[in-house]
Amino acid sequence: MADPLSTPRLTSPHLEHFTSRTIRLVGRVTQLRGDNATLDSDGAVTAHLNRDSHLTVGNWVEVVGKVNGDLSVRVLVSRDLGRDVDFEAVKAVVDATHRYKEIFYSEQ
Amino acid sequence: MGGSQQGSQDSPGGSRTYGKDTLRPVTIKQIIDAVQPHPDSDFKIDGSELTQITFVGQINSISTQTTNTAYKVDDGTGLIEVKQWIDSDADASTAKPRPKEGEYLRVFGRIKAFNNKRHVGAHLIRPITDYNEVNYHLLEATAVHLYFTRGPPEGAANGVKNEGGMFVDGGVSNGAPAKGGKLPAKITGVGRKVYELLQSEPQNNEGLHVNMIAQKLGVPSNEVFKAGDVLLGEGLIYTTVDDETWAVLEY
Repeated sequence: MADPLSTPRLTSPHLEHFTSRTIRLVGRVTQLRGDNATLDSDGAVTAHLNRDSHLTVGNWVEVVGKVNGDLSVRVLVSRDLGRDVDFEAVKAVVDATHRYKEIFYSEQ
Repeated sequence: MGGSQQGSQDSPGGSRTYGKDTLRPVTIKQIIDAVQPHPDSDFKIDGSELTQITFVGQINSISTQTTNTAYKVDDGTGLIEVKQWIDSDADASTAKPRPKEGEYLRVFGRIKAFNNKRHVGAHLIRPITDYNEVNYHLLEATAVHLYFTRGPPEGAANGVKNEGGMFVDGGVSNGAPAKGGKLPAKITGVGRKVYELLQSEPQNNEGLHVNMIAQKLGVPSNEVFKAGDVLLGEGLIYTTVDDETWAVLEY
């Protein structure tokens, strides 16, 4: 059973290893279309938004959501981060999360 | 003048050990996994005692009681309750704006255990305005975690990260390990064997000659020379009577 308390941080290339888990992802909004958004998180990600998501194209966003089988993400919570996010730092944290997972999340 | 000197450790309370106060950046998962050997002892994370911690996380929920405010905070690694006492004397109009759900917070405080449940007693809580601070903190927590589990980074420790309190063993800046400690990662198998032999083999203060090391280890002398060069460069051994006789550099 996946650790219910942790939401491992990912970028697009990691999604395939975390299907059906709840994860945290930071990306830049490249497209908004109705209930869906396309994010760029070191690769394109399709996000299915919920009613509370208010995204702005060009801004960075952090989403917590569940990874579907087709590697799209069903967003549970989203948070606009503005325009000034250092994505290299984001990638470094994602890298550290998986390299030293003992302090970040438990394996299922 | 016959006045007595006030030592810096003086405190009216008497029982505080200021000398060992620490501030550790951690993830919430580390707080949950921390061990407390006896009910009154300090918590240990990564094998090292600590007193105060700092972390960042997102507020999941807020619960205001009369004496304290409790925040449930989530940093993606776990969920923990953070309690902050309400300062009843504070003037409402000058008080800082209250944090809201969904916001990121920076917390400074101590780990508390009550009835087998952990929470954090916060001294200071501040909202995070730059999301980069979240990533900065997680990377700092990772670096400190690696420091305590793997030892200081080789070479890089030269003056760069000299947080005085941490070098408890007197292991000084160039990565030289305390007796039996870890060698820097770049030392190869042969290098490690040479070093260990120099540490353990009975010898006079001239150390051991390369040929002796090669013979004892059953390794060709040119391999010993190569390994020795690396060890010399790292300041782990030094040459004694000539360039081919080495001893371990100890402080």
